[in-house]
This record gives sequence, structure tokens and C-alpha cells, in this order.
Amino acid sequence: MQIDFIHALSANLLSPAVLFFALGLAAALIKSDLKFPEALYVTLTIYLLTALGFKGGVAISEAGIAKVILPALAAMLLGALIPLWTYPLLRFGGKLRPVDAAAIAAHYGSVSAVTFITATNYLKGINEPYENYATAFLAVMESPAIIVGVLLGKMTLDRPSSVFNGSLKGVLREAVFGRSVVLLVGALIVGVLCGKPGMDKVEPFFVTPFQGVLALFLLEMGMVAGQRLGDLRKVGPFLVAFGIVMPLLHGCLGVFIGKYVGLSLGGTTLLGVLAASASYIAAPAAMRLSLPEASPALYLTPSLAITFPFNITIGIPVYYALAKYFLH
Amino acid sequence: MNTHPMKLVTIICEALARKPLKKLLAEAGAHGYTLFPVEGDGSQGRRTADIQEFANIQVEVIVPPAVAETLLARLEKEFFAKFAMVAYETDIHVLRREKF
Repeated sequence: MQIDFIHALSANLLSPAVLFFALGLAAALIKSDLKFPEALYVTLTIYLLTALGFKGGVAISEAGIAKVILPALAAMLLGALIPLWTYPLLRFGGKLRPVDAAAIAAHYGSVSAVTFITATNYLKGINEPYENYATAFLAVMESPAIIVGVLLGKMTLDRPSSVFNGSLKGVLREAVFGRSVVLLVGALIVGVLCGKPGMDKVEPFFVTPFQGVLALFLLEMGMVAGQRLGDLRKVGPFLVAFGIVMPLLHGCLGVFIGKYVGLSLGGTTLLGVLAASASYIAAPAAMRLSLPEASPALYLTPSLAITFPFNITIGIPVYYALAKYFLH
Repeated sequence: MNTHPMKLVTIICEALARKPLKKLLAEAGAHGYTLFPVEGDGSQGRRTADIQEFANIQVEVIVPPAVAETLLARLEKEFFAKFAMVAYETDIHVLRREKF
């Protein structure tokens, strides 16, 4: 088992995607003036989400909705429940303000599409098959935790009338109609409707270049994460530890659930990865709108500078090893 | 020249504050706005504009002095504590005062 794990780890650490991420980190640390235009970052995001959603949709059309529904519901439930125990942990264990605890809880219940994509890349690299419709789990896990977190946060605030008194409708709107959800779910639906014939038409664009685009994107993310490493000092040791321990715990939980809803080894790994990942795009944007009183440094830094790099380098192989252990 | 005195209110803040800010501008009585994506540095830290979360926007509105006062008061009350932001007004002279 130990040799297996070392193999698993090195397979990940030596992949182009992760190495480019490390390059980005290094570039930020040496304060290089390498910089991606924001438009490129947005373009790469759109490409990755659309391709991912489309492939997932095609997979759903091939496997049939019946197979997807149970695991998808389990994933959604998991996402919604995670804030319910991370909130008290942060509030009473970390002694954070309620609104900050709620915001961070929302981040850790939600998911990182990039971590998911990197995990699928990893599984491909070690020739481990997985259900392509797992993208549906990604899509449904993004929003529930954000909604729960915002509700938790709003309950603790006493706000006079202002532009921030959005009703539940406003929160829902933001969480469900945000850019990444629309792209992902929309592409998923297109994939379901087009099926395999549709995939054949776009394969040279959406499938073949995918790994290269991911590598380029992770280069940028490495730089972004690297820029935030300085903030680690500001968030304190509790959150640093939280950013590593919670993903490991949630990864276990996700793997456990994956086994019980009947996913393959690859699919179980992915569910673990989803549970372990923390959002740093959708959730922060939702927080700035619904819980602006929460301090961005406290939720962005753990998610972006600790959990994301940890998951990408060490986490993914660990969750794979866990899945292997549980399933055999 | 047929110019009229007006106030130019400039707000520089984090990009993610865009929606609530636009809502406030409309409520306060601004008839339009201009928005630029910007980057910079300040008391809240460097805003490198590499991704949306760390980008800034600069919003300018031209409004009558009374509206400017309401606007700045509401910004101070509702936004300053929550978002990284600076806001200031300058005196300008405009043509076609009915546009504002």
C-alpha cells in the first residue's frame, strides 16, 4: 500500500498540469513580472468549463439519467451539509466571528472545478477509468453550500435597510445563475441533447487540447495562489491547519459516500476530491454580494493559498489511495 | 459657453462590489455611469487584477450636488465598512445639463 501511494503521488507531482502549477508558484515567489491578461484567464476558464460540461452531458446521455440521479443527490446533500459542521468548528474552535465562520464554511462545502478537472486529468494519466458524468456532481455541488453558508451568516447579522438586504431570492439568484454554474450546467444540457454524434463533431476542439489548456490555466493559478502566500501570516495557524485537515476529512467522507452509491474507483475518487475541494471563484463572488461583512482574506487565503495547492499536489493522490483502500 | 456646474463622483473599489454599487447609484439618482477596470494598491493591499476577485473598478458618475451628497453619505454608511473603496467628488462644468 505504501509503495502504491508513492507511485500515486509521483504520478501526480510529475504531470504537466501540476508542474506548471508549481512553475506559477515559483514565478510569483521570485516576483517575476510574468502576467496573464485577464481576458486570457477568462477565456481559459470558459473553455475548461464548457468542455467539461459538454463531455459530462454526453456521458449522461450515454449512461442514462437513472444512473446519475442517486449519486448526484448524494453529492448535493453532502455539499449542503458540510457547512453545518464546519461552521461550529470555525466559530467555536477557531474563535472566528460568526459571519466569517459562515463564509468560510460556504467555501468548503462548495467545490473547485479546477481541482476536479485536475483530478480527472490525473485519473486519465494513470489509466484509471471514471464515470464521465461525474461532472454532474460538480455542477450540483457548487451552489448548495453557498446558499447554506449565506443563510447561516445572515442569521447572525442585524442589518439596517440597505442595498444588501437581498431576500432569499437574491441569494439563490446569485448562487444558481452565476457565470460558472450557467456555463457548466448549460454545456451539460447541450451535451445531453447532442449525445455522441455531437461529441464527434467537437472532439478536436473540446477534447484533444484540453490537457494543454489545463496546464496553461494552472500556470496562471499557480501565480495567483503564489501571490496570496504572504497572507498566510494574517490568517493564523488555525486556518492554515483547517485548510489541510478539513479537505482530508471531507475527502474520506466523499470516498465513503462514493462507495455506497455504487461509483467506480475513479468515480469514488472524484467524489472525494469534490468533497475535499473548496471554492475560490464562485463562493467569494457570492460572499462579496451576500455577506460583504465577511473578511475576504479569511476565506480566500485558506481556500486559494492552502487547500487548492494542497489538493492539487498531495490531496488528489491521497483520495485515490483512500478510494482504493475502501473499495478493495 | 453654456456650461453648468455639476459634481463628478469617482469611486474606486473592488470589482466584486460592482452589482451593489450599480444598485446604489440608481437608487441615489444617478442617470448613468462610466466604468473602467483598473488595478492598483492601497490600504487593503495590492490589487493585481489577475483574476476578477483581485481586480478593481473605477466608476464615475456626473450628478447634481444634492445627489452627490446623498451618494457619498450612503457610500460612507453602507459600503466603506464592507468593501475596499475610495470615493471622492470634484467640481466640473457640463454641457447639456438635462442629461444629468
